[in-house]
Amino acid sequence: MRSMRSTGFRRRTQRVLEQGTSFVADASASFRRNGLMTAAAVTTIMVALLVVGAAVLIGLNLGNIAEVVEGQVQVVAFLRDGLTSVEAEKVRTAVGAVPGVEEVEFVGRGEALQRLQQQMGEHAAFADLASTNPLPDSLEVQLTDPRSAPVVASVVARQPGVAEVTYGGEVVDRLIALTRGLRGVAALLTVFLTSVALIVVVNTIRLTVIARRQEIEIMQLVGATPWFVRWPFLIEGLFQGAAAAVAAVVVLGTVYLVGMLRLQVTMPFLPLAGPADAALPLLGSVLMGGFCVGAAGSLLAIRRFLTS
Amino acid sequence: MVQFQDVTKGYPNGVLALRRVSLRVDPGEFVFVVGPTGTGKSTLLKLLYRDESPTEGRVFVAGRDVSALPHRAIPELRRGLGVVFQDFKLLPSRTVFENIAFALRVIGAPPQEIRSRVIRALDLVGLAHRPDAMPGHLSGGEQQRISIARAIVNDPPLLLADEPTGNLDPNSSWEIMQVLSRINLRGTTVIMTTHNKMIVDILRRRVVQLAAGRVVRDQSRGLYAVDA
Repeated sequence: MRSMRSTGFRRRTQRVLEQGTSFVADASASFRRNGLMTAAAVTTIMVALLVVGAAVLIGLNLGNIAEVVEGQVQVVAFLRDGLTSVEAEKVRTAVGAVPGVEEVEFVGRGEALQRLQQQMGEHAAFADLASTNPLPDSLEVQLTDPRSAPVVASVVARQPGVAEVTYGGEVVDRLIALTRGLRGVAALLTVFLTSVALIVVVNTIRLTVIARRQEIEIMQLVGATPWFVRWPFLIEGLFQGAAAAVAAVVVLGTVYLVGMLRLQVTMPFLPLAGPADAALPLLGSVLMGGFCVGAAGSLLAIRRFLTS
Repeated sequence: MVQFQDVTKGYPNGVLALRRVSLRVDPGEFVFVVGPTGTGKSTLLKLLYRDESPTEGRVFVAGRDVSALPHRAIPELRRGLGVVFQDFKLLPSRTVFENIAFALRVIGAPPQEIRSRVIRALDLVGLAHRPDAMPGHLSGGEQQRISIARAIVNDPPLLLADEPTGNLDPNSSWEIMQVLSRINLRGTTVIMTTHNKMIVDILRRRVVQLAAGRVVRDQSRGLYAVDA
């Protein structure tokens, strides 16, 4: 009983394998037959995928930079002059209770001056300042979420004893706006180029479909399922998409590696995404894009010829 | 085997191909559908293999209502019937054997059965000696016999033939009629549309005559036309 079942299974598997092989053979035969059109289709898909991949890479890096800068975002509240240490402590507690605040550190004016001195390096001008320190006491506020900086800053500003509030938010805002703008442009370009690629794929595969119109008609007449008819064309489309994706990944990968090495020499502080971090999103998006365009193109090409 | 219930078929261009046709064909019958061109003979067959669906009324094949058949059930329906056309619809780049085997392959028949079933079908149409010929090298009559072999290779209980002798000389036409009669004798129901007066008049089978989409005569052992 068991051996019978396993032979049945083996036979079915064998049949599926045989059919699969013949589908792939059909697909690759027409890939070779319509050489020029196929090359055009693959190239067009590749151009579309280059844009997708480039957008993914640039987006990834801008995101990285934004994240690093965001991590450094800090709300600083300058305290009014002449507060006693008890009053300053009160303000610190009040600020610590503001929602979104993780930690508050009191920085006395003396310490602030020292820090400034360290950042600026030894400079003669600082010697004079020691006696007439112009800096106020301040509170350095760490946030649970850097994006809430503007909100927290405005709440902290309303606390009694706080004279002024700043946060390094403008850079982040600009980075986020830039990322968003870039994504928008890339999305538009992607939609446009993908449509063009889709049209070319549909036309290429339609050539094969037309060449095999008779076979398709007979297949349907004798009761082949629509999917049986579609498979060879779908595989052809997937081939085209995959070939384009591989080409796009090679081009983008090379350009990115070279570009990254150059940038790292000239701007070592830029937190760029390394090859390992970039590989997965790049491969994922480009391969997915290629397969989707190839599959959608072939299914569209054959749709009109599937009467049932 | 086949039943039309008050079937009307209109095409989008406004042509009414069939008007309120009711017809019943029992298993094992051989039916000629006759009438001038454009009277709905082909449409009648198309409704049976569900190339078209009726505008009104219902069509049954083997007890199943095919007028309301969902698309995914159409392959199943077509595996249960064979269709033969005036223009053969053979694949010119494949051998006789391949043309018939193709019909079995695309419905997923077990590969080890294909060879014997193709040979059996070729034998039935008298072409077992030419499996490796290309269709283009054969006469019209032989090509039509290949297409009949392809239609019956799956042993369907129903065979539809749309003007199968339309392109053939009288001798070839008789070959085809012999083959179709032989298939009918094995129990297969055959419905054939034709213009060929001579064939209908000699064979004296059931005749369904259409005129402007209506059944105007349904006569067993009939003639092509009834002279007034």
